[in-house]
Amino acid sequence: MRHTLRGVVLLLLLAILVPAAQASAAPAQEGEQPVVRVGTEGTYPPFSFHDPGSQELTGYDIEVIKAIADEAGWRLEFVETQWDAIFPALDAERIDVIANQVSVNDERKAKYGLSETYTYSHGVVVRRTGDDSIKTLADLEGKTTAQSATSNWAQVARDAGAKVESVEGFAQAAALLAQGRVDAIVNDNIAVLDYLASTGSTDVEIAGDAGAEISEQVLAFRKTDTALIEQANKAITALRADGTLRGISEKYFKADVSVAEGGTADLSEGRGARSTWEVIGSTAWPMFIGLVKVTIPLTALSFAIGLVLALLVALARISSYRVLSGLARAFISIIRGTPLLLQLFIVFYGLPQIGLKFPPFTAALIAFSLNVAGYAAEVIRSAILAVPKGQFEAAATIGLDYRKTLRRIVLPQATRTAVPPLSNTLLSLLKDTSLGSVVLLTELFRESQLAAAESNEFLALYAFAGLYYWVICVGLSAAQKRLETRLDRYVAT
Amino acid sequence: MTEQNTEQQARIRVQGLEKSFGEHQVLRGIDFESRKGTSTVLLGPSGSGKTTVLRSLNVLETPDRGVIGIDDVEIDFSRLPAGKAGRRESNRLRAQSGMVFQAHNLFPHRTVLENLIEGPVIAQGRPRDEVVAEAKTLLDQVGLGDRADAYPFQLSGGQQQRVGIARALALKPRVVLFDEPTSALDPELVGEVLAVIKDLAADGWTMVIVTHEIRFAEQVADQVLFLDGGVIVEQGPSSQVIGDPREERTRRFLKRILDPG
Repeated sequence: MRHTLRGVVLLLLLAILVPAAQASAAPAQEGEQPVVRVGTEGTYPPFSFHDPGSQELTGYDIEVIKAIADEAGWRLEFVETQWDAIFPALDAERIDVIANQVSVNDERKAKYGLSETYTYSHGVVVRRTGDDSIKTLADLEGKTTAQSATSNWAQVARDAGAKVESVEGFAQAAALLAQGRVDAIVNDNIAVLDYLASTGSTDVEIAGDAGAEISEQVLAFRKTDTALIEQANKAITALRADGTLRGISEKYFKADVSVAEGGTADLSEGRGARSTWEVIGSTAWPMFIGLVKVTIPLTALSFAIGLVLALLVALARISSYRVLSGLARAFISIIRGTPLLLQLFIVFYGLPQIGLKFPPFTAALIAFSLNVAGYAAEVIRSAILAVPKGQFEAAATIGLDYRKTLRRIVLPQATRTAVPPLSNTLLSLLKDTSLGSVVLLTELFRESQLAAAESNEFLALYAFAGLYYWVICVGLSAAQKRLETRLDRYVAT
Repeated sequence: MTEQNTEQQARIRVQGLEKSFGEHQVLRGIDFESRKGTSTVLLGPSGSGKTTVLRSLNVLETPDRGVIGIDDVEIDFSRLPAGKAGRRESNRLRAQSGMVFQAHNLFPHRTVLENLIEGPVIAQGRPRDEVVAEAKTLLDQVGLGDRADAYPFQLSGGQQQRVGIARALALKPRVVLFDEPTSALDPELVGEVLAVIKDLAADGWTMVIVTHEIRFAEQVADQVLFLDGGVIVEQGPSSQVIGDPREERTRRFLKRILDPG
């Protein structure tokens, strides 16, 4: 057991150190072609979404940034995340540029390095069909709108006196509006037209323009990356001159939105609706990949590392050394007293600010392992204390020292008590890994979100994702039962 | 059992043993000696301190003051160093004796044979084959030669306690300690355990026994100590302490035990 322990600790160190080292090496120049990491939603059609057939990331913004990369000689690496996590990711140097219809405003001008404009559009107010109480931006006073909390359109809605419900993307906002949970949405006219055309929805409609202002969309960099900004601007100018930008725009919108007066976007053809079964059929495999490549390994590794930590914390907690037990108590209290999502954000977005930057998987692994350790420590502690005092005494009288007593006498018996509650911890952990979707991990749940944003099949896709989780949980429960039977072999039943 | 050149010295030597639990002084100066190959029975009402004396011999309790010596290992508890050094000394004294508990305290996740060999193999580091052979002989001796592979829960209370005795003997101790070995047993199972202990006495084991079985004590004890209130009230051969007690307290106690009505 000492060897397994040492092995696990080594593994833990490797898991943390190796990817961290790789991550710090990644942004460095590789030959002549710098790697530029592009942050984008992947759930914002027609700008950034997954092609339902090929599952490839595509859209207007994706094609534009690819054209820019060709021109500027960059190698691209796409990082998909929800809108509200995009600017934090740029700040934390997890991405180098945002290509996701970033609208220009004064605040962003001050804080970020913005490129030349590559999309001109205007905002529209969207209402439930026939809701005459909302006609213009002024009517939003006192109403509720659904927006990405940190988007420019959310600010426009707030300025008009509306309350803003925060959502993860436009498709979700449209669903809330159709369901009557909010009164309106303010968004880019192109995104709205795409939604109406591709879903054929008659539940919501455009009420009118959100002000006369033209909105300009740009690429956002960190202010310090002046070389990248310069290269991007040069490329945009060149692509506009040679008609590339117009070509991409007309492919998607039948109009040139890359100039101020390029005509009205027409998306009436839509992207071709698919049946629910077709959507599920094409998403089942990517979801399975997310399950096998991220969800399951993340669960298994976090649980293994978490259990080892939990044992150490539990032993520290029952130790007679005041300092040790105090530290253990504090650790348990903090882990159990704060939300898991917050712990995940602290590791992923917070620690980079003090120079500790981990790639998404490692960050999630650290957060989940520590979380498991906090909860399992209490389970293990009470299981150890549930072993009768006579067992410790008998072990002492036959000459076993503390470590051997624990290893050979106490822990095997405590395991029996601990297995049912620890199984609960494991099942919770499996499902909690879906939170990984907010730290750029493309796991099972994230895959279903991507597909739902493109197809609007929320019910079917989330239910299908649930099915995957449920099947794994059923398997784990069966394994628990077998283990319990095995451990019960020395107990009268 | 190995012969030591300690012929003139008693095998167990206890002097001035004192122990308090918080405010309550349980032992107020206990002195006695046991010669090699003899059985010493501790009698006394509950709370008299007899179990604390027994547990002190195995250092399951650490006395506050006083000296305990078993063969060539001796500790003066008023001078026991704190921390690791003290633990090492305590462990040396503990290794001199084997303990049989009231509730047997067998390891439930280990078979009978595994219970016996755990100490000798893991703690004493002796070769497994040799220990297994000895353990099987011991199991034959306590009449459980055919239950080596059973788990404790598959045995009766009397059988469990006999395994407990064999586990203590497997350590090859200088002294075997019994803490009310039959108190937790159903009445019809008491006899088989007492019979085993009598055999051990006949084989020449040095034993210290806390028990309420007066008739058994009379038969097996070379020496009886009667404790009350943390002191030894009366001590001597069983024929004297049980057969013809001098002290009033001893007489009252025996009457209560033998004639509870």
